[in-house]
This record gives sequence, C-alpha cells and structure tokens, in this order.
Amino acid sequence: MAYEKPLPKPNADTRPFWEGCQENQLRFQKCRHCDHIRWPPSVICPKCHSSDTDWIVASDKGMIYSYVVYHIAFHPAFENDLPYVTAVVKLAEGPYILTNIVGSDPSKLKCDMPVVVVWDDSSQEFNLPKFKPLNE
Amino acid sequence: MSLRKLRDKYAIVGAGYTSQGRIPDRSALSFYVEACVNAIKDAGLRKEDIDGLICYRQFQPVANDVVVTPYLLAQHLGIQPKILSQESYCARGHFLHAISLIEAGFCNYVLIVYGDNALSGKRSFVKGATNSEPADDNAAFGEFGRAAQFAMAARRAMYEFRTGPETWKEIAVCQRKWANLNPIAMMYDKPMTYEGYFNADWVVEPFRLYDCCLISDGGRACIVTSTERARDLRNPVVTIMGIGEHNTSVDIHQSDFMAGPTGANMAGKMAFDMADITVKDIDACEIYDCFTYTVEITLQDYGFFGPGEGEDWFKDGRTAPGGIMPVNTSGGLLSESYFMGLTPIAEGVMQLMGRCGERQLGAKTGTKEPEIILCSDNGAVFQSHATLILRRS
Ligand SMILES: [Zn+2]
Repeated sequence: MAYEKPLPKPNADTRPFWEGCQENQLRFQKCRHCDHIRWPPSVICPKCHSSDTDWIVASDKGMIYSYVVYHIAFHPAFENDLPYVTAVVKLAEGPYILTNIVGSDPSKLKCDMPVVVVWDDSSQEFNLPKFKPLNE
Repeated sequence: MSLRKLRDKYAIVGAGYTSQGRIPDRSALSFYVEACVNAIKDAGLRKEDIDGLICYRQFQPVANDVVVTPYLLAQHLGIQPKILSQESYCARGHFLHAISLIEAGFCNYVLIVYGDNALSGKRSFVKGATNSEPADDNAAFGEFGRAAQFAMAARRAMYEFRTGPETWKEIAVCQRKWANLNPIAMMYDKPMTYEGYFNADWVVEPFRLYDCCLISDGGRACIVTSTERARDLRNPVVTIMGIGEHNTSVDIHQSDFMAGPTGANMAGKMAFDMADITVKDIDACEIYDCFTYTVEITLQDYGFFGPGEGEDWFKDGRTAPGGIMPVNTSGGLLSESYFMGLTPIAEGVMQLMGRCGERQLGAKTGTKEPEIILCSDNGAVFQSHATLILRRS
C-alpha cells in the first residue's frame, strides 16, 4: 500500500538533519563559540550570532515536555491512526522537537516522562524519529 | 520611556459589522468591503477621510477567490490612502501602528479591518476542511495547526499548575450566556450546559469542541483617530487609555516556557503603565479567545489571579451576565464569531458607547456601568500579544 502521509521537504538548512535520520541519527548544530545546541537549524547561533558550527549526534533519549491526543484527522491519511499522539520531546542535549509518542496507551502518558527514540521507516523514503516511553 | 503622554490621546470612533455566521456564496473581499463601508458610515466620515488602511493577515483564498490585498480593498473602496499595510502571520500590531502613524502626523483616520469566508469556504481545522494551510515538516507526524498547538501549551499548563476542563467549562458556558443575549452571535439561540460541554467530542485532547473558537463568514472594522477629532464625530468618545504589545515570537514547539508567561504579561504591563491604572480599575474584559484556555492564561498573565487560581476565580458566574467581572460580552470568538482581535476590540468599543442592547453592561445585565474595558488580541500560538485598555470619555 502506498504511503500517503505528508513527508518532510528538506531544504538547505534542514537537509543535514534529515540525512542524519537516514542513518538513524539525530543530528543537531552546536555553536563552537557558546556551545548552544540549536533547533531548528540555522546559519547562525541565536544566542551569540556566531556562525562557527559543528554538527553533533544527539543521544536517543529525552522526555515528554508536552503532548496532545488527536481525535480528528485533519489529513485523511491519519484517519486509521486515531487517536494518535503528537508531542514535544525535550532531548537530553537540549533541543525541543515535535514528534509522535508510539507504543503506549495515550491515557498513560505524562509530561516529563522519559522517552527513547524509535525509528519509523515505513515511508521507505524518510526515517522519522518517533519516541516511546523508556520503560516499555 | 513613559508612554503616559499618549494616554487617552487616541480614540476608536467607528465599528463596522457585516452579516455574519454561515453566509454562503460570498467572497472574502466582499466582507472586507462591507465592514469598511459600515465603519466609515458608523463614524460619520467620508471615504476620502481614510488616509491609512491596515488589514489583518489573510489566509489562502478559497472557493476561487482572489487574494485580498490592501490595494484591492482600497480600489474597491474607491480610496487612495497614504498608508496601506497588511500584517503577515498574525503579529498583532495594528492599533499600535495606527496610533504611531497619527502621532507622527502621517495620518488622521486609520481603518483596521479583517474579513473571511472561512466557514462556507471550508477553511482548515474544521472537520471536512478542504482548504488547509501550507504544511511544514511537522505534518509528517500528523501535526496540523492551531487546535493542537494551543492544546500542547494547555497540556503543559495542566502539568505545571491547576487547570483543565473544570476551569475551561466555566469560560465556555459563561461566554455562551453572553452570546444568548446577542442576536448577531452565531450561538445566540443555542444555550450550553456543563453537561453539554463535557459531552462534546474531543478535537485535540485536552480540548473538546467547545474549547475551540468558531469559524465564521463575515468581517469587522474599526477606525482610529485622535481624541480631539473624535469629539467632533457622531459617536460617544471611546479613548485608548493604554496600549501594549509584546512578541515572544518563539514557535510553541521550541518554547521552553510553554505554560507561560505569554506575551500578555509584558504587553499588559506596558498598557497598564501607560494608562496608569491596575487590574482593580477594570470594569470588564474582552479577551481574544481562540480557545477557552487562552482566556485563562491571558487573564492570569495580566495578574487577575495567580497560576492555578483560575478554577476558583471563574466559579459562580464571575464572568457571566450579572457577574462582577464580565468577560467576552458578545460571546467572543467562542460563541459570537471569529474576526481575529476585532471581535473583542469592537465589542469593547460598542459596550463603552452603550450600543449593546440586551447584553449592555450596566443595569440591563446586573453588572457595573463600564468606564474602563480591557481588550486583548493574540497572534499565532502565543507568539504575539496586544493589549488595549479602552475608556469611555
Ligand atoms: Zn552561540
């Protein structure tokens, strides 16, 4: 069955992140001047305006900063997933990223719950970093 | 820098309404034009007097509409204003810009307007929407828009302090009571009970259907001028006693202060400082209410109550008809109609002019005769905030 959900559209700024995902790695920019790890990607550091940057590979752990449960599909390809969870996960390294929490009953989730990445390669084009509770 | 020299120096002199609700077979542009013409008429001005035209942001056209630009609107109004502008992506500086233009001497009468055919045009975020906003990479995760983004902030707030549906049901039900007194409100003849609130479907949990604002066809406009000029016009004079603006700007998905304070905190301080009053002086509030929670966090950030005290504060009909602090007396975006910040601001103006019929604050609704009304406007997901303190002169 064809994959009908929207896919990322990498651009000049975000391409290194999505290329990292193809290797099951979460890659972020780290400022060489002030050590701030930033997301979303940018040509300069929003903290100190330095353009001197490294790409680092983040650990696969974080915590749920906040989450919601979709009960309406605003796109038909998500109808079979209802109810599904989107969340902002705070990674151990600092960045906050929008993702899904999978493999858990939505009613069991809580803010600040530790989570670990699970890679979703079902589109066969992009590996999507999703997360599940650490203890499951 | 003190803004006190601007206190009460500018006034809102006219409000333009249109037919509203579900009005099929109308272009968005037609609502803009109708709202502007009615505002000009209401203020008792000639169209040639309008030398500034500021539009709220317009979404993607639907139903074969054209893009509504300020040029197009000016052309259809038959005017050539000195200043034309249109805000993008919901930064809520309209009234502040209008005052600045008049204070600097560039303009005398600035018209601020919004219109849309969102309901009939099936704009995004309704069940069966056929006209979605352009998606970003978050769409890969099934993240689509405003309800989920505000719900995300609300969920974090539920974790950090005492809030949730028990608080929000009061907001939804009290505003509905106001709408039931307002014949032009989309929910005029639809009372709501607590049970009705809880029985409604989830949209994006923790938000149920009645936590979410309406989607409307229609438009609204307001005209700003100097208080000096306002005194020569036909309506009772309603001045801008204080104005504040703050743009936290950060995308909610990267915010590390998701549960607040929102821009209301800084914008409110700026407006209260200019007006030289405190929340104790406020007689009623018209708060931008895209979601029930938005009303709670805005009033909390203005200092009406502390974090988590909202549940008790909203109890016993404090904000309903007959209450000691009426909030969103037209029904608001939740129960009247959605015209961005112009729904609450126009209502504040109409209340102070004494033109609100059955819902008029004062003896008619068992509330205090209003002299000072606090209004708010919010843009994007708590990224932009404007505060207006209006006063009957
Ligand atoms: Zn830096």
